[in-house]
Formats: sequence, C-alpha cells, structure tokens
Amino acid sequence: MGLRSFIHSLTAPPFRHRNVIDQEVKMVLVVNTNLKMGKGKIAAQVGHAAVSSTLKCGKEAPDLLESWLASGQKKICVKGIDADNLLALEKLASSEGILSTKIHDAGHTQIPSGSLTVLALGPDIESVLSKITDDLKLL
Amino acid sequence: MSSSHNETTMVLIARKDLKLSAGKLAVQCAHAATSCTLVAIKSEKRLLERWKNSGARKICLQVEDLPSLQILAGQAQSANLITHIVKDAGHTEIPAGTITVLGIGPGPRRSIDALVQDLKPY
Repeated sequence: MGLRSFIHSLTAPPFRHRNVIDQEVKMVLVVNTNLKMGKGKIAAQVGHAAVSSTLKCGKEAPDLLESWLASGQKKICVKGIDADNLLALEKLASSEGILSTKIHDAGHTQIPSGSLTVLALGPDIESVLSKITDDLKLL
Repeated sequence: MSSSHNETTMVLIARKDLKLSAGKLAVQCAHAATSCTLVAIKSEKRLLERWKNSGARKICLQVEDLPSLQILAGQAQSANLITHIVKDAGHTEIPAGTITVLGIGPGPRRSIDALVQDLKPY
C-alpha cells in the first residue's frame, strides 16, 4: 500500500449503510470517450468494470448487491469526457460514500497500455448516484 | 503457441443484426459478464480465481443473427462451459425479451477458442 492510499484508508468516510428497501438500485458505467475506442472494445471494458464492481460490492455492501441483483441488475452506460473527468467523478463518489472501480486497459489493442477506460459507480441507490451522474449523457 | 494449457478467458458474443448503439451493447455485454461471473462464484470457484488473477480476459465477438447465437450456446453447454444468455428488458431501442448477447466463460481458453475461432471481433 502506498502512502497516499494508506492515508486515504484512514481518512475516507466509512461506507454508509443504506436503507435499500423500496429504492431503485443501479450501476453507472462512465466511459472515457476521449480514447475513441471501438464498440466491441468499449463493451469488453465495461464488462470488466461491471464484474469488478460486482465483486467489490459483494465484499463491501452485500445488501446493496442483493437488491441490485434482485431488481434485474440495472446498468446504464454514460459518456465521460476524458481521464481527468473520470478521476474527478471518482473523487465525488468517494465523498458521497459511493463505491467506484477504475479500469485500466492492458493495452493489447487499440489504445496505449494503462489508459483509464471506464469508471464504474455503484451499485447504489439511484437518488444517491444521481447527485453526481445527472449531468452525464447516455452513450 | 503462446496460449498455455491453463489460460482462461471469457467471450461475449453479440448479435450484429440488432445494430445496437455502443452504450446499449456495452450494457448488454456487462450483463452477460456479471451473470457468468456469478455462476462461476457458485460452481467454478478455483477457475474464477485463476481468471481474475490473470487479468480477467474478456473479448467481444459478433454473430450474424439469433440462430447462430443459439447454436453456439448449445455447443458451449455441451462442452460444459459456463454460459449465460442475455434477454433485454426492452426499456430502450429493442422489444422486450430480445436475445442480445451470449456470454461464455470464464473457462479454459483452449475449449472456448475452439468454439469461437471463426467469429469476428465486434
């Protein structure tokens, strides 16, 4: 663990316990459109993001995961401007206690290795997520 | 021959004929990937770990139409591979219940590649 992530682990707000009853739960996948990836490439990267955040949520917020799965695992895919935009959203998410997962490409095809391709937010309650994702356009 | 015998992979096979938008395609593939992973948590835990630790390889391929997708699903099931067929809820773009994507894996790369070697990347 690096120094910054160690400090972060001490100062980050704890993951809030959400009351998930009767709430719409979804996952938002923000794609870095600056990279101009092909459709199939985007699909695979979004797939990575969805799987990682599902597994993460299973560890950190099983209640949310349960209700997300039970309600048909709603996902939406939106446009992010560039890597900086995705990082800014990640910061906002962490201040709201929303789970986030970054995907960096292995760089086998199309784009340079290590590029930040997708940021997954949630699964979380829609009203919480919409605070930071309302301005993003659907991909 | 670069693929060693214990390499693992997942493939997401989408129908070209539906002409989905990039976002819709991505979400459908993500459904397939998540559902396959959840199956693997229950039935193939060791394989899932191996797949995750080696970078959770995923690729997105295309088939012409529904029958081609169903044939592949049958072949994958006969080969005892994890499969998941995504039916769209139909909120946007296409009618409810449309089959959009077939997910295969995580599974041994050699068995999966054997099934999908003739498919083009999406």
